[in-house]
Amino acid sequence: MKTASAGTVESMDCIVTASEADPGSGVTVQIAGASAARFGSAMRAAVLSVVSKMGITDVTLSVQDNGALDLVLQARTEAALERLKGGDVA
Amino acid sequence: MSLRRTMLYLPGNNPNMLLRGHLFRPDGLILDLEDAVAPSEKDAARILVRDVLCRGEFGGCEVTVRINGMDTELWREDVAAVVPAGATGLRVPKVENPRDIRLLDEYLGEVESQAGIAEGRTAIFCLLETALGIWRAYDIATASPRVAALIPGGEDLTADLRTNRSADGTELATIRSLLVVAARAAGVDALDTVYPRVADDEGLRREVAFIKQLGFDGKSVIHPNQIPIVHDIFTPTEAEVEKAKRIVAAARDAAARGLGAVQVDGRMVDKPVVRRAEFTLSRAGLSGEVM
Repeated sequence: MKTASAGTVESMDCIVTASEADPGSGVTVQIAGASAARFGSAMRAAVLSVVSKMGITDVTLSVQDNGALDLVLQARTEAALERLKGGDVA
Repeated sequence: MSLRRTMLYLPGNNPNMLLRGHLFRPDGLILDLEDAVAPSEKDAARILVRDVLCRGEFGGCEVTVRINGMDTELWREDVAAVVPAGATGLRVPKVENPRDIRLLDEYLGEVESQAGIAEGRTAIFCLLETALGIWRAYDIATASPRVAALIPGGEDLTADLRTNRSADGTELATIRSLLVVAARAAGVDALDTVYPRVADDEGLRREVAFIKQLGFDGKSVIHPNQIPIVHDIFTPTEAEVEKAKRIVAAARDAAARGLGAVQVDGRMVDKPVVRRAEFTLSRAGLSGEVM
Protein backbone atom coordinates (compact mmCIF):
# COMPACT_ATOMS: atom_id res chain seq x y z
CA MET A 1 0.00 0.00 0.00
CA LYS A 2 1.32 3.44 -0.95
CA THR A 3 1.91 5.91 1.91
CA ALA A 4 3.36 9.41 2.19
CA SER A 5 4.21 11.61 5.18
CA ALA A 6 4.82 15.27 5.92
CA GLY A 7 5.90 17.16 9.05
CA THR A 8 8.46 16.78 11.80
CA VAL A 9 8.66 15.77 15.46
CA GLU A 10 9.53 19.35 16.51
CA SER A 11 7.27 21.16 18.97
CA MET A 12 4.23 22.92 17.43
CA ASP A 13 4.50 20.49 14.50
CA CYS A 14 2.99 17.10 13.68
CA ILE A 15 3.62 14.23 11.31
CA VAL A 16 0.73 13.36 9.03
CA THR A 17 0.90 10.02 7.22
CA ALA A 18 -1.51 9.41 4.37
CA SER A 19 -2.15 5.90 3.06
CA GLU A 20 -4.09 4.82 0.02
CA ALA A 21 -7.43 3.20 0.80
CA ASP A 22 -9.65 0.93 -1.29
CA PRO A 23 -12.29 2.70 -3.41
CA GLY A 24 -15.46 3.15 -1.40
CA SER A 25 -13.76 2.70 1.96
CA GLY A 26 -14.07 6.40 2.83
CA VAL A 27 -11.83 8.65 4.92
CA THR A 28 -10.33 7.40 8.19
CA VAL A 29 -8.45 9.72 10.54
CA GLN A 30 -6.43 8.56 13.55
CA ILE A 31 -4.99 11.14 15.92
CA ALA A 32 -2.37 10.54 18.59
CA GLY A 33 -0.15 12.79 20.64
CA ALA A 34 -0.12 15.73 23.02
CA SER A 35 -3.49 17.31 22.27
CA ALA A 36 -5.43 14.32 20.96
CA ALA A 37 -7.50 13.74 24.11
CA ARG A 38 -8.62 17.36 24.52
CA PHE A 39 -8.82 18.64 20.96
CA GLY A 40 -9.20 15.43 18.95
CA SER A 41 -12.54 16.33 17.40
CA ALA A 42 -11.46 19.85 16.36
CA MET A 43 -8.24 18.41 14.94
CA ARG A 44 -10.19 15.76 13.03
CA ALA A 45 -12.42 18.48 11.56
CA ALA A 46 -9.36 20.50 10.50
CA VAL A 47 -7.86 17.47 8.75
CA LEU A 48 -11.15 16.52 7.09
CA SER A 49 -11.66 20.02 5.70
CA VAL A 50 -8.40 19.66 3.73
CA VAL A 51 -9.34 16.18 2.48
CA SER A 52 -12.68 17.46 1.29
CA LYS A 53 -11.18 20.59 -0.33
CA MET A 54 -8.82 18.36 -2.28
CA GLY A 55 -11.75 16.20 -3.45
CA ILE A 56 -10.33 13.00 -1.94
CA THR A 57 -12.91 10.40 -0.92
CA ASP A 58 -10.86 7.35 0.10
CA VAL A 59 -7.77 7.70 2.27
CA THR A 60 -6.41 6.75 5.67
CA LEU A 61 -4.69 9.50 7.65
CA SER A 62 -2.68 9.12 10.79
CA VAL A 63 -1.61 12.20 12.79
CA GLN A 64 1.17 12.19 15.37
CA ASP A 65 0.70 15.55 17.06
CA ASN A 66 3.26 17.55 18.97
CA GLY A 67 1.22 20.65 19.74
CA ALA A 68 0.45 21.80 16.19
CA LEU A 69 -2.05 24.60 15.60
CA ASP A 70 -4.86 23.86 13.15
CA LEU A 71 -3.12 25.72 10.35
CA VAL A 72 0.01 23.57 10.76
CA LEU A 73 -2.10 20.41 10.91
CA GLN A 74 -3.80 21.45 7.71
CA ALA A 75 -0.55 22.39 5.96
CA ARG A 76 0.99 19.03 6.85
CA THR A 77 -2.17 17.16 5.76
CA GLU A 78 -2.14 18.93 2.41
CA ALA A 79 1.58 18.19 1.92
CA ALA A 80 1.14 14.49 2.77
CA LEU A 81 -1.85 14.19 0.42
CA GLU A 82 -0.04 16.01 -2.39
CA ARG A 83 2.89 13.65 -1.95
CA LEU A 84 0.61 10.63 -1.99
CA LYS A 85 -1.12 11.93 -5.12
CA GLY A 86 2.09 12.86 -6.88
CA GLY A 87 4.05 9.78 -6.00
CA ASP A 88 6.55 11.97 -4.12
CA VAL A 89 6.61 9.61 -1.15
CA ALA A 90 8.62 10.85 1.84
CA MET B 1 9.96 55.32 5.53
CA SER B 2 9.70 51.83 7.00
CA LEU B 3 12.50 50.83 9.35
CA ARG B 4 14.56 47.86 8.26
CA ARG B 5 17.11 47.78 11.06
CA THR B 6 16.66 44.06 11.55
CA MET B 7 15.18 41.39 9.31
CA LEU B 8 15.05 37.99 11.02
CA TYR B 9 15.45 34.80 9.00
CA LEU B 10 12.98 32.06 9.96
CA PRO B 11 13.34 28.51 8.57
CA GLY B 12 10.38 27.86 6.27
CA ASN B 13 9.68 24.34 7.50
CA ASN B 14 9.67 25.14 11.22
CA PRO B 15 6.17 26.04 12.51
CA ASN B 16 7.42 27.02 15.94
CA MET B 17 9.74 29.70 14.60
CA LEU B 18 7.44 30.83 11.78
CA LEU B 19 4.61 31.43 14.23
CA ARG B 20 6.68 33.03 17.01
CA GLY B 21 9.41 34.95 15.20
CA HIS B 22 7.54 38.26 15.34
CA LEU B 23 7.39 38.09 19.14
CA PHE B 24 11.09 39.03 19.24
CA ARG B 25 10.10 42.34 17.60
CA PRO B 26 12.44 42.60 14.63
CA ASP B 27 11.50 45.25 12.03
CA GLY B 28 11.05 42.51 9.44
CA LEU B 29 10.78 38.77 8.97
CA ILE B 30 12.22 36.62 6.20
CA LEU B 31 10.36 33.33 5.86
CA ASP B 32 13.04 31.23 4.24
CA LEU B 33 12.24 28.72 1.53
CA GLU B 34 15.82 28.53 0.28
CA ASP B 35 18.88 27.45 2.26
CA ALA B 36 17.04 26.72 5.51
CA VAL B 37 14.90 24.05 3.83
CA ALA B 38 16.18 20.62 2.78
CA PRO B 39 15.54 19.80 -0.91
CA SER B 40 13.16 16.98 0.07
CA GLU B 41 11.03 19.40 2.15
CA LYS B 42 10.62 22.26 -0.34
CA ASP B 43 7.01 21.29 -1.16
CA ALA B 44 5.90 21.00 2.48
CA ALA B 45 7.67 24.24 3.48
CA ARG B 46 5.98 26.14 0.65
CA ILE B 47 2.53 25.01 1.83
CA LEU B 48 3.36 25.81 5.46
CA VAL B 49 4.74 29.28 4.68
CA ARG B 50 1.69 30.02 2.50
CA ASP B 51 -0.68 29.10 5.35
CA VAL B 52 1.32 31.03 7.95
CA LEU B 53 1.15 34.08 5.65
CA CYS B 54 -2.62 33.65 5.26
CA ARG B 55 -2.98 33.72 9.06
CA GLY B 56 -1.28 37.11 8.94
CA GLU B 57 -0.26 37.51 12.58
CA PHE B 58 3.13 39.20 12.46
CA GLY B 59 2.77 42.04 14.95
CA GLY B 60 3.45 44.83 12.46
CA CYS B 61 6.68 43.31 11.04
CA GLU B 62 7.38 43.68 7.33
CA VAL B 63 7.03 40.13 5.99
CA THR B 64 9.16 38.91 3.13
CA VAL B 65 9.87 35.44 1.77
CA ARG B 66 13.25 34.25 0.55
CA ILE B 67 12.31 32.26 -2.53
CA ASN B 68 14.47 29.64 -4.21
CA GLY B 69 16.95 30.91 -6.78
CA MET B 70 15.90 31.83 -10.30
CA ASP B 71 18.34 29.20 -11.54
CA THR B 72 16.03 26.51 -10.07
CA GLU B 73 12.65 25.14 -11.14
CA LEU B 74 11.15 26.17 -7.81
CA TRP B 75 10.98 29.96 -7.85
CA ARG B 76 7.80 30.32 -9.91
CA GLU B 77 5.86 27.97 -7.63
CA ASP B 78 7.22 29.83 -4.59
CA VAL B 79 6.05 33.18 -5.98
CA ALA B 80 2.64 31.82 -7.02
CA ALA B 81 2.10 30.43 -3.51
CA VAL B 82 3.32 33.24 -1.27
CA VAL B 83 2.31 36.44 -3.06
CA PRO B 84 -1.46 35.79 -3.06
CA ALA B 85 -1.08 34.64 0.56
CA GLY B 86 0.14 38.09 1.63
CA ALA B 87 3.93 38.34 1.26
CA THR B 88 4.70 41.97 0.50
CA GLY B 89 8.32 41.35 -0.42
CA LEU B 90 10.50 38.66 -1.95
CA ARG B 91 14.15 38.19 -1.12
CA VAL B 92 15.81 36.74 -4.20
CA PRO B 93 19.07 34.80 -3.78
CA LYS B 94 22.13 34.96 -6.03
CA VAL B 95 20.95 37.78 -8.28
CA GLU B 96 23.59 38.63 -10.84
CA ASN B 97 21.68 39.70 -13.90
CA PRO B 98 19.24 42.64 -14.21
CA ARG B 99 17.37 40.52 -16.75
CA ASP B 100 16.32 38.14 -13.97
CA ILE B 101 14.81 41.03 -12.01
CA ARG B 102 12.85 42.16 -15.08
CA LEU B 103 11.61 38.57 -15.56
CA LEU B 104 10.56 38.38 -11.90
CA ASP B 105 8.88 41.79 -12.16
CA GLU B 106 6.85 40.58 -15.12
CA TYR B 107 5.86 37.33 -13.44
CA LEU B 108 4.92 39.18 -10.25
CA GLY B 109 2.64 41.41 -12.33
CA GLU B 110 0.83 38.31 -13.64
CA VAL B 111 0.51 36.73 -10.18
CA GLU B 112 -0.72 39.98 -8.60
CA SER B 113 -3.25 40.55 -11.33
CA GLN B 114 -4.63 36.99 -11.09
CA ALA B 115 -4.88 37.31 -7.30
CA GLY B 116 -6.58 40.71 -7.44
CA ILE B 117 -3.64 42.39 -5.70
CA ALA B 118 -2.64 45.94 -6.63
CA GLU B 119 0.04 45.65 -9.30
CA GLY B 120 3.45 46.60 -7.96
CA ARG B 121 2.67 45.82 -4.30
CA THR B 122 5.32 43.12 -4.01
CA ALA B 123 8.80 44.51 -3.41
CA ILE B 124 12.01 42.79 -4.45
CA PHE B 125 15.04 42.46 -2.15
CA CYS B 126 18.13 41.44 -4.12
CA LEU B 127 20.78 39.26 -2.54
CA LEU B 128 24.05 39.81 -4.35
CA GLU B 129 26.13 36.75 -3.55
CA THR B 130 28.71 36.72 -6.34
CA ALA B 131 31.37 39.11 -7.59
CA LEU B 132 29.35 39.56 -10.78
CA GLY B 133 26.23 40.46 -8.81
CA ILE B 134 28.15 43.10 -6.82
CA TRP B 135 29.68 44.48 -10.02
CA ARG B 136 26.22 44.92 -11.54
CA ALA B 137 24.59 46.18 -8.33
CA TYR B 138 23.30 49.50 -9.71
CA ASP B 139 21.87 47.91 -12.88
CA ILE B 140 20.16 45.27 -10.75
CA ALA B 141 18.74 47.86 -8.35
CA THR B 142 17.29 49.89 -11.22
CA ALA B 143 15.98 46.93 -13.24
CA SER B 144 12.52 47.28 -11.69
CA PRO B 145 10.75 49.91 -9.57
CA ARG B 146 9.89 47.04 -7.24
CA VAL B 147 13.48 46.75 -6.02
CA ALA B 148 13.53 47.92 -2.39
CA ALA B 149 16.97 46.87 -1.22
CA LEU B 150 20.35 45.40 -2.03
CA ILE B 151 21.94 42.90 0.34
CA PRO B 152 25.48 41.52 0.00
CA GLY B 153 26.05 37.82 0.49
CA GLY B 154 28.32 36.53 3.21
CA GLU B 155 29.64 33.01 2.85
CA ASP B 156 28.82 32.56 -0.85
CA LEU B 157 30.32 35.89 -1.75
CA THR B 158 33.58 35.34 0.11
CA ALA B 159 33.87 31.90 -1.51
CA ASP B 160 33.36 33.51 -4.93
CA LEU B 161 36.06 36.06 -4.06
CA ARG B 162 38.36 33.11 -3.20
CA THR B 163 38.73 34.17 0.41
CA ASN B 164 36.91 33.44 3.65
CA ARG B 165 35.10 35.40 6.34
CA SER B 166 37.36 36.91 8.96
CA ALA B 167 36.36 38.25 12.34
CA ASP B 168 36.97 41.86 11.27
CA GLY B 169 35.36 41.50 7.81
CA THR B 170 38.33 42.92 5.86
CA GLU B 171 37.38 40.94 2.76
CA LEU B 172 33.89 42.51 2.67
CA ALA B 173 34.83 46.14 3.38
CA THR B 174 35.11 47.27 -0.25
CA ILE B 175 32.10 45.19 -1.28
CA ARG B 176 29.97 46.80 1.40
CA SER B 177 31.03 50.31 0.40
CA LEU B 178 30.31 49.60 -3.26
CA LEU B 179 26.92 48.24 -2.37
CA VAL B 180 25.98 51.33 -0.33
CA VAL B 181 26.98 53.57 -3.25
CA ALA B 182 24.93 51.51 -5.71
CA ALA B 183 21.93 51.42 -3.38
CA ARG B 184 21.99 55.16 -2.70
CA ALA B 185 22.45 55.96 -6.41
CA ALA B 186 19.43 53.78 -7.19
CA GLY B 187 17.37 55.10 -4.27
CA VAL B 188 16.96 51.75 -2.51
CA ASP B 189 17.95 50.48 0.93
CA ALA B 190 21.29 48.87 1.72
CA LEU B 191 20.84 45.95 4.12
CA ASP B 192 23.79 44.00 5.44
CA THR B 193 24.42 40.28 5.46
CA VAL B 194 24.09 38.15 8.61
CA TYR B 195 26.66 37.94 11.39
CA PRO B 196 27.17 34.20 11.72
CA ARG B 197 28.80 34.01 15.18
CA VAL B 198 25.58 34.04 17.19
CA ALA B 199 27.28 33.85 20.60
CA ASP B 200 29.69 36.75 19.92
CA ASP B 201 27.73 39.84 20.99
CA GLU B 202 30.76 42.11 21.04
CA GLY B 203 31.77 41.06 17.53
CA LEU B 204 28.23 41.75 16.33
CA ARG B 205 28.22 45.14 18.02
CA ARG B 206 31.52 46.09 16.31
CA GLU B 207 30.28 44.91 12.91
CA VAL B 208 26.95 46.75 13.20
CA ALA B 209 28.68 49.99 14.24
CA PHE B 210 30.96 49.60 11.20
CA ILE B 211 28.17 48.95 8.67
CA LYS B 212 26.05 51.75 10.11
CA GLN B 213 28.99 54.12 9.61
CA LEU B 214 29.28 52.91 5.99
CA GLY B 215 25.65 53.93 5.44
CA PHE B 216 23.68 50.69 5.72
CA ASP B 217 20.03 50.85 6.77
CA GLY B 218 20.01 47.59 8.70
CA LYS B 219 21.15 44.02 8.95
CA SER B 220 19.78 40.54 8.39
CA VAL B 221 19.81 38.51 11.60
CA ILE B 222 19.71 34.79 12.25
CA HIS B 223 19.09 34.69 15.99
CA PRO B 224 16.59 36.62 18.14
CA ASN B 225 19.39 37.58 20.57
CA GLN B 226 20.97 39.69 17.81
CA ILE B 227 17.90 41.93 17.46
CA PRO B 228 18.30 44.22 20.53
CA ILE B 229 22.00 44.72 19.78
CA VAL B 230 21.35 45.86 16.21
CA HIS B 231 18.42 48.04 17.27
CA ASP B 232 20.48 49.64 20.00
CA ILE B 233 23.16 50.71 17.52
CA PHE B 234 20.76 51.82 14.79
CA THR B 235 18.49 53.76 17.13
CA PRO B 236 19.63 57.37 17.63
CA THR B 237 20.41 58.48 21.19
CA GLU B 238 18.12 60.93 22.99
CA ALA B 239 20.69 63.71 22.50
CA GLU B 240 20.87 62.98 18.74
CA VAL B 241 17.07 63.04 18.49
CA GLU B 242 16.80 66.31 20.42
CA LYS B 243 19.42 67.95 18.20
CA ALA B 244 17.71 66.64 15.07
CA LYS B 245 14.39 68.05 16.26
CA ARG B 246 15.97 71.48 16.81
CA ILE B 247 17.52 71.42 13.33
CA VAL B 248 14.30 70.39 11.61
CA ALA B 249 12.27 72.96 13.57
CA ALA B 250 14.75 75.73 12.69
CA ALA B 251 14.69 74.74 9.02
CA ARG B 252 10.88 74.73 9.06
CA ASP B 253 10.84 78.15 10.71
CA ALA B 254 13.34 79.57 8.20
CA ALA B 255 11.33 78.20 5.28
CA ALA B 256 8.12 79.76 6.65
CA ARG B 257 9.86 83.12 6.93
CA GLY B 258 11.35 82.83 3.47
CA LEU B 259 14.90 82.61 4.79
CA GLY B 260 17.55 80.42 3.22
CA ALA B 261 20.06 80.11 6.01
CA VAL B 262 19.36 78.30 9.26
CA GLN B 263 21.20 78.67 12.54
CA VAL B 264 21.10 76.06 15.30
CA ASP B 265 23.07 76.20 18.55
CA GLY B 266 25.05 79.12 17.15
CA ARG B 267 26.10 77.27 13.98
CA MET B 268 24.98 77.65 10.40
CA VAL B 269 23.16 74.57 9.17
CA ASP B 270 22.92 73.74 5.49
CA LYS B 271 20.65 71.44 3.51
CA PRO B 272 22.61 68.17 3.91
CA VAL B 273 22.61 68.63 7.68
CA VAL B 274 18.84 69.15 7.65
CA ARG B 275 18.44 66.01 5.56
CA ARG B 276 20.58 64.06 7.99
CA ALA B 277 18.50 65.36 10.89
CA GLU B 278 15.31 64.27 9.12
CA PHE B 279 16.86 60.86 8.60
CA THR B 280 17.78 60.63 12.29
CA LEU B 281 14.15 61.32 13.22
CA SER B 282 12.94 58.70 10.74
CA ARG B 283 15.30 56.17 12.24
CA ALA B 284 13.98 57.05 15.70
CA GLY B 285 10.48 56.27 14.45
CA LEU B 286 9.53 59.98 14.45
CA SER B 287 8.77 60.38 10.76
CA GLY B 288 5.93 62.74 11.71
CA GLU B 289 8.54 65.27 12.78
CA VAL B 290 10.05 65.26 9.30
CA MET B 291 8.99 68.05 6.95
